[in-house]
Amino acid sequence: MSAKKDSATQKQAAMVFDLNKCMGCQTCSVACKTLWTRAEGQEYQWWCTVNTLPGRGHPRDWESMGGGFSDGIPQAGRRPAQREWGGGMDFNYDEVFYSGKAQKEHLKVLGEQPEWGPNWDEDQGAGEYPNSYYFYLPRLCNHCTKPACIEACPRGAMYKREEDGIVLRDESNCRGYQFCLEACPYKKIYFNFAREVSEHCILCYPRLEQNVAPSCVRGCPGRAVWFGFLDDETGPVHKLVKKWEVALPLHPEYETEPNVFYIPPILPARLTEANDFEEGQPRVPTEYLESLFGPRVRPALETLSREMASTRAGGKSELMDTLIAYWWKDMFKPFDQDPGEIEWSRTAGEQPSQ
Amino acid sequence: MKAIKLQLANKTLLKHSAPQWERAPKGHISLRGTDPEAQPSPYIRATWTGKRVGAVRTIAVQAAYNRQNLFFRLEWPDKTHNPDFGDGLVFPDAAAILFPGEGDPPLARMGSPAEGIEAWYWRANREDGERLTFHGFATEKPQTDQLVATSADWEDGRWRVVIGGPIEAAKDGKRVAFAVWEGSNQERAGLHAFSPEWQELSIG
Repeated sequence: MSAKKDSATQKQAAMVFDLNKCMGCQTCSVACKTLWTRAEGQEYQWWCTVNTLPGRGHPRDWESMGGGFSDGIPQAGRRPAQREWGGGMDFNYDEVFYSGKAQKEHLKVLGEQPEWGPNWDEDQGAGEYPNSYYFYLPRLCNHCTKPACIEACPRGAMYKREEDGIVLRDESNCRGYQFCLEACPYKKIYFNFAREVSEHCILCYPRLEQNVAPSCVRGCPGRAVWFGFLDDETGPVHKLVKKWEVALPLHPEYETEPNVFYIPPILPARLTEANDFEEGQPRVPTEYLESLFGPRVRPALETLSREMASTRAGGKSELMDTLIAYWWKDMFKPFDQDPGEIEWSRTAGEQPSQ
Repeated sequence: MKAIKLQLANKTLLKHSAPQWERAPKGHISLRGTDPEAQPSPYIRATWTGKRVGAVRTIAVQAAYNRQNLFFRLEWPDKTHNPDFGDGLVFPDAAAILFPGEGDPPLARMGSPAEGIEAWYWRANREDGERLTFHGFATEKPQTDQLVATSADWEDGRWRVVIGGPIEAAKDGKRVAFAVWEGSNQERAGLHAFSPEWQELSIG
């Protein structure tokens, strides 16, 4: 199974997050968690996470764990340890909420004390006051065009769906060998210790098959995420990624060609000692954004700044109109079916009864 | 190698410490590691080439049978006890008794598409063993209706494992081989130590 062959899917589902609009509310994380990862062995799994940047992320320091490709050659990666994921904690809810001891007992983690978790370094960021800065980065499986995970599996248990490019795993063929975890440079694959299989985001494919957007997308209260087919030239995802080139993949140097894209954050300019804005001096160092999104971040930031200036001056900007997202459902057409109007079948692969 | 008859209950033969095991001749078998360059995935080939595969280099094997079942008692030194996946950074230790399914399957590749290998597979984190069919590295298919009995103990830096299955699976003159996966060395799938030659099993 070659990566070249894998990249030739008919269509590719893709997503764009606007990091200027993401407010770190974790609604996407929780929407995913409640829908997909509540079973035994999934306690620590968060297929969608939102982390504060600059930060060490989730799992801790995942960017130093290897994987992906370099000049097309697979790079060794390592699996995160449980302590680097953290999460799956139990709290003394009974004691605090139901035992009448709320004045004495505080909420705490039971058992072994965690040293990390899915959102451990929230809002720490970087920089010195008044030029301290941070932003939020939502992350999920990138459903890559050149998925290192698929190529790593010695059993051929993973595949990319022809109709939408979603990366999936045939669990009946997974023996829990975890080469996929090693090869994924984004560390977005989890091992289920109870079932002894690997698991990751399935891009809500049972919802997509009913024209319902993924739960992380539909749940976003900030209108910060678009979803659609990358090659649908009429859709906002295509326009943001291909036409205006303002939506960029995270760590393109990993060479897996992710299909989750990000609008880079533009914070206010730096403040001088006299508390004046120093125009042209970005609060978030451009070099830092470049380390995340590659060299294409500079022209993307220039385009965004130019279009923002244009609308400030009273002009029209199709790009700004798209980013503002006046019409919520336009953000994920044609996947705008209301899930509440569907009678869902509980058996995978079965058509819902009408 | 020779399997001796021991008229004992299955549960007695499954005990590695049963004194009757002392009557079974002990063969010391050399193992070697599988070839990283022969692995089925580009990732494994690229990242394992040059690394040592097959951390366990010798095992002691005994074999005995009763009316219904054939048992193998394996023993090997292992300083790192891996009874499970640990913190996620290791794999459970594992071992298998291998029989040729048909023809003359290559042990160095765990069989081929045409010539399969039948395995009685023990893994340190499971109570039951599995019967697996291999047609090459990492191609195993569990025969879900057929379990094999296993028992294992790790003590003083040594694994002592007994694996037992139906005697029909290994008639007199049948050949046998062995494989060991060392979990602390990240050995799983086609990365393991194996006995490079099929050995004739004499029962009687």
